[in-house]
Amino acid sequence: MTTSPTATDPGGPTIVEPDRERRSLKLPAAPLFVLAAVVVALALVYTVGQRETGLVTQSVATGLLLGGVYALVSVGLTLIFGVLGIVNFAQGAMLTMAMFLVYEMSTSGGIPVYVATLLAVPVMFLFGVLVQATLLNKLTMAGNEEGPLLITLGLSLLIVNVLLMIFGGRPLRVPGSVSGRVEILDAIMSYERLIAFGGALLVAGALTLLLRGTSFGLSIRAVSANTQGASLVGVDVSRVYALTFGIGSACVAVAGGLMAPFLSLTPSVGEQFTILAFVIVVLGGLGNVAGAVVGGLIIGLVQTVGALYLPGTGSLILVFGVFVLVLFFRPQGIFGATR
Amino acid sequence: MKKVSLAAAFAASALALSACGGSGSSGSADGEIMIGAVHPLTGALAGVGSLMNNGAQMAVDDINAAGGIEALDGAQLTLGEGDSKGVADSGQSEAQRLISEGAVALVGTYQSDVTANVSAVAERSGVPLVIDVAVDDSILEQGYQNTFRIQPNATSMGTDGAKALIALAEANDEPIESVSYIHIEGAFGQSVFDAFAEEAEANGVEVLEEVTYPGTNFTDATTQVREAAAADPDVIVATGYYPDSLLIAQAVEALGPDVDAVYGVANGGFDDGAFPGDAGQAGNQVLSANYHYAATDERVQDIRTRFEEEYGKPMETASMLSYQAVVVIAQALEEAGSDDPEAVREALAGIEVDDPLLAFDGPITFDETGQNENATVIVMQIQDGEVEQVFPEDFTTSEPVYPTNR
Repeated sequence: MTTSPTATDPGGPTIVEPDRERRSLKLPAAPLFVLAAVVVALALVYTVGQRETGLVTQSVATGLLLGGVYALVSVGLTLIFGVLGIVNFAQGAMLTMAMFLVYEMSTSGGIPVYVATLLAVPVMFLFGVLVQATLLNKLTMAGNEEGPLLITLGLSLLIVNVLLMIFGGRPLRVPGSVSGRVEILDAIMSYERLIAFGGALLVAGALTLLLRGTSFGLSIRAVSANTQGASLVGVDVSRVYALTFGIGSACVAVAGGLMAPFLSLTPSVGEQFTILAFVIVVLGGLGNVAGAVVGGLIIGLVQTVGALYLPGTGSLILVFGVFVLVLFFRPQGIFGATR
Repeated sequence: MKKVSLAAAFAASALALSACGGSGSSGSADGEIMIGAVHPLTGALAGVGSLMNNGAQMAVDDINAAGGIEALDGAQLTLGEGDSKGVADSGQSEAQRLISEGAVALVGTYQSDVTANVSAVAERSGVPLVIDVAVDDSILEQGYQNTFRIQPNATSMGTDGAKALIALAEANDEPIESVSYIHIEGAFGQSVFDAFAEEAEANGVEVLEEVTYPGTNFTDATTQVREAAAADPDVIVATGYYPDSLLIAQAVEALGPDVDAVYGVANGGFDDGAFPGDAGQAGNQVLSANYHYAATDERVQDIRTRFEEEYGKPMETASMLSYQAVVVIAQALEEAGSDDPEAVREALAGIEVDDPLLAFDGPITFDETGQNENATVIVMQIQDGEVEQVFPEDFTTSEPVYPTNR
C-alpha cells in the first residue's frame, strides 16, 4: 500500500504519490488482491461455469474491450472528480458533444473519423477550460460543493437539448472507417473496438506522464492535496483548475471520437456512461488514472461475463454488487491511498 | 362564446383541476376542432416523436385543405401539441392540459407506459384516445371505453411474426425446425417473445435459446449473439429498438453463424429507413415482421413524398400511424356529426375505415376492447440498401430472398 506524503487534507481527494523506495519493497496489496480475485473468478467460470469455452472467451474479450471504453470515459472524470472535487454530471453530455463534433467533421467535412478525433481534442479542451473559468471557478474556489454540481447538471441538459435542436433525435452514424475484425483464441474483436481500447491505454499513459513527469502535473497534484498550501507557494490555483477541467474534457473528446464509429449517435447516447463512470472512478480510487483503467476493465468484465449467468439488467446488478463490496472493504478504492 | 369556453378551460387548468367526468367542453364554436397529440418531443425518443407529431400535423393540414369536417359545416381541425418527454407523468399532465384546452380526441404516444397513463386520463375525462404506436397488450385490458389502437398489439405481433416466418420458410422449400431468440428486457420484448414462442412450438418449431439484454448500458451484442448462435438454430430472431438491433445485426455479421436468416419481430430497427445505410453489409437481407405503411398504395406514396418535401425527413411507419390516427378521428367526427367527445367515442366504436394507410388485412374496425381487428404484420427485407416488402404476396414490392445468402 502506498501512502501519499502530501495528503495533508484528510477530506480532500488525493492523487497518489508513490514513495518509490517503499514501493519497491512493499507491493501494492489491494490491486494484487483484486487481480487475483478476477483471475480466480474467470478460472471458475471456465472450469465449473457450465458454459461453452468459446462463449466464455468471447465474453471475456468483449468485456475487456467494453472495459476499455469505460476506462476512456472515466480517466477524464477521475481528474475532474478526483482533483477538482467537482461532481461533473455533464461528463456524459460532453462525451455526446464530442461524438457529434466528430460526426459533423467526418460527414460534412469529409475528415476521416480518427483525424477528426485529434481535431476534436483541442476544441473540447478549450470548451472545458472555458466552462471551468467562467462557470465553475468562482464556486469551486469558494469551496462550494452543491453549486458546481447543479451547474454541471444544467450544462448537461443544455448540451443535450442544443444537440437535439441541431441534429434531431434520430440515431445517426459516423461513416465506417476501419471495418473488419480479428479473431484471437476463438474470440472475435472488431478493429474499431480494439483501437478504442488502445486509445484508452494511450490516454491513461499520457495522463500519468503528465501528472508524474511535468511541473504542471506537480502543481495539479499540489492543488489536489492542499489547495491553500499550493496557492501559498505560488501556484495559480484557478488556472490549474481551469486547465485540469480542460484536460478532463479533452479525454472525453478522445473517448467520443473513438467510440463514435460503433455507437448510434443520439443526443442522449453519452448519458448512460455517466453513472458507470462515477462507479469506476470511485472503484479505482479518486484521481487515480491507473485505477480508472483497472476499474473500467473490471466493470466491463463483470457486466459481460456476468451476463452469461444473469442476463439483462442482472449484469448491472452484479456491477453494483461489486461496487458495494469494494466500497465496504476498501472505501478509498482499489488504487486509493489510505488516509 | 369561444371566449367563454376558453376562459372556462383556462380557469379550470389554472385551478389545477383535472378535467373530470366528460365535461364535453370544446373550443369548436368558431369552427375549429382541436385534436390533442402527445408524443416525446424532447428526450431520447425525440427523433421519432417529432416525426410522429409532424405526421399528425400533416394529416390535419390535408383534411383542412380538403374542406375540413363536412358534417360540421367544413369545420377546420387544429393540432394541440403535447410533449411527453418520454416520461409517463409528463405525458399524463400534457394529456390533461390538452383536454382542458378543449381537445375532442387524443392521439399518441409511442411508448407503452406513457400510453397507459394517458389512456387513464382519457377514460376519466371521457375523451377518446386513438393510439398510434404503443404495443403493450395490457393497455387495452383495463376495460376502458375510450381507448382505441390502430396497430397490432405485442401478442398478435409475436403470433403473426411466427406464422409469417414459418410460411415464408415453407414457401421457399427451406422449412425451419428451430430458432434462437434475442430480445430486450421488459414488457415489450417479453410479451412478443412469449407469443412467438407459443405459436412456434405449436407448429413444431423449437425455440432453442432465449437471450435477453438490458435496455440501457448495452453497447456490444457479440456475447448475446454468440450465445444465441451456439445452439445452432435455423434462424436468429430479434426484438428490440433501433440502436440495440443495429448492434445485433453487426454482431451477427462479425460472428457469421450458419443460419438461414436473421428475422426481426416487432423490431424497431430492421425495417427503419435509416437501417440499411447505418448497418451496411450487416443489414443486408435481414428480414423483419412488423406493421408497416402500405408501400404499394399510391395514396401512401403521395403522402410520403409530400412529407419528405415538407419536413425534410423520410416518413417512417410510426409517423404514418399518427397520420392514420388523425384520419380515423376525422372520419369519426364526420360520422358523429358532432364534436362532442362522447359522440366521437360512439362513432369510433362502430367505425370502419376502408383503405388503411398501413399494410393491414382489411379496414380499420375496433373490437370491444378498442383493438383494431385487422391489424397485422407483414415481412420486410433489406435488399440493395432498401427496405422492401416481401411477404405476403398482396403487399410485395420485391421477391423474398430465403434462405439469405449471408
